[in-house]
Amino acid sequence: MRVKTSDLKLGMYVEIQSDWADHPFLRNRFKITSRKDLDRLRACPFDSVEVDLDRSEVKPDPAAYPSSVDELSKVSHGDAPVDPKEAGLAPPKWDPDSLIPGYLREALHDREMTPKQRAEQVYRHSRTMMKRLLESPTAENIKASKQAIYDVSDMVLSDRDTAMSMLRLTHHDFYTYTHSVNVGVLSIMLAKELYGGSDAHNMHELAAGFFLHDIGKVKVNPDILNKPAKLTDAEMKHIRIHPYQGYKILEAAGELTEECRIIVMQHHERAGGDGYPKALAGEEIHEYGRICCIADVFDALTAERSYKVAMTPFEALKLMKERMSDHFDQRLFAGFVKLFKEQ
Amino acid sequence: MARYECDVCGLIYDEAKGLPDEGIPAGTRWEDIADDWVCPDCGAPKSAFIATE
Repeated sequence: MRVKTSDLKLGMYVEIQSDWADHPFLRNRFKITSRKDLDRLRACPFDSVEVDLDRSEVKPDPAAYPSSVDELSKVSHGDAPVDPKEAGLAPPKWDPDSLIPGYLREALHDREMTPKQRAEQVYRHSRTMMKRLLESPTAENIKASKQAIYDVSDMVLSDRDTAMSMLRLTHHDFYTYTHSVNVGVLSIMLAKELYGGSDAHNMHELAAGFFLHDIGKVKVNPDILNKPAKLTDAEMKHIRIHPYQGYKILEAAGELTEECRIIVMQHHERAGGDGYPKALAGEEIHEYGRICCIADVFDALTAERSYKVAMTPFEALKLMKERMSDHFDQRLFAGFVKLFKEQ
Repeated sequence: MARYECDVCGLIYDEAKGLPDEGIPAGTRWEDIADDWVCPDCGAPKSAFIATE
C-alpha cells in the first residue's frame, strides 16, 4: 500500500516507482534497515512510496495497540447519538425533508468538481445525514436515508477517483455517524472488489446495510458509549445489544431487507466462533457479515479515542494480519488490503 | 427461584420476576421457556445463559 515518506518506519519493505535517477539507492525495492535510509527516502522528490506489507517487518508497539478484537471492544465506542431514555419523549428533530443536506445531492451530481472536491463534499454531507438519522431514527427517516445511501454508493462504485479520495480523507474522530460512513464506504468498495459487476448482489441494499450496521447503538446506554476510559466487562457486554437492537429497529421500520438483516446481526461474529450474539463460526457467517467485520475493525483501529492510540492504515492492516488472523476471512482480507494499493 | 445471566450481554433472567414486557409472566421457570427463545436485549440463544446467584 501507499505510505507517505513521512510515515515510513524501519523494517518497511519499500518499492520506489520513480526513475532511478530520483533516488540514491542501489535498488528500487528494499527493506529499510537504518535511519539513514529513512532520511534519504524523505529527502527524495516523491512524497510517498509503495510498501509491501508481506515483506515488511514493522512491529507495532505491543503496549500501545490492542492485540485482539476483545481488547478493542473494551475501548470506548465514541458518542451516544441520542439518549434512549429521552427518545420517544420529544418529537423527532429531523424528518425526511430535512434529513438529507441539499449539498449532498448537489455534490453527487456536480460535474465540475474535481474528484477530491466531490469526495470531501460527499463525505462531509453523508456524515451530517447519518448524524441526523441517528438523532431521529424513525421509520420514515430510515427509508429516506436509504435513497441517499444508494446514491452515494452509486458514486463510490462508478467513480474510482472519487472513491480513492474518500478513502484517503476518512476522518477518525469518535462519532458513531463518522464510523457509519467510513464502514459504509470501505465495505462497499470491498464488495465491489469481490463482486465486480455481478448482478447476483444488490449493491444498493448492501450499501444500506453497511451504512446502517450500527444503528442499534441508539439503544445503548449513552454513559457507556461516551465513557472516556476503558470499559468494564459489564459495560462492554452491554454494548453487545446493538446488533440485535439494530435488527429490531429496521424490522419495525419495515426496512429489514435480507442484506440489512445479515449485516446488522453478523458484523460482530468472528470466524473462530467467539463473536456475538450467536457465536457463529466460519462458513456459518454470511460473506456480507464478514465484509462488514473487516471494515468495522479496521475503522475502529484507525479511530482516535481519548484512551486509545489511533493507528495509521498501514499499522492497522499489519496488526489485523499478524494478530487477528483468526477473526477474519483471509481471502476477503486480501481483497481489503488491495483497496489501499494505488492503481 | 433461580436466576440466569446472558453470557453475551449480561441481561439477568430472574424466575421470580419473569419478563412481562416480553410475554413471560413472573414465576416462569427457566425450563419452561422455549428452546428457541432468544435474549430480548442482544438476541443470543437461550444456551448462552448461565445459572447465577
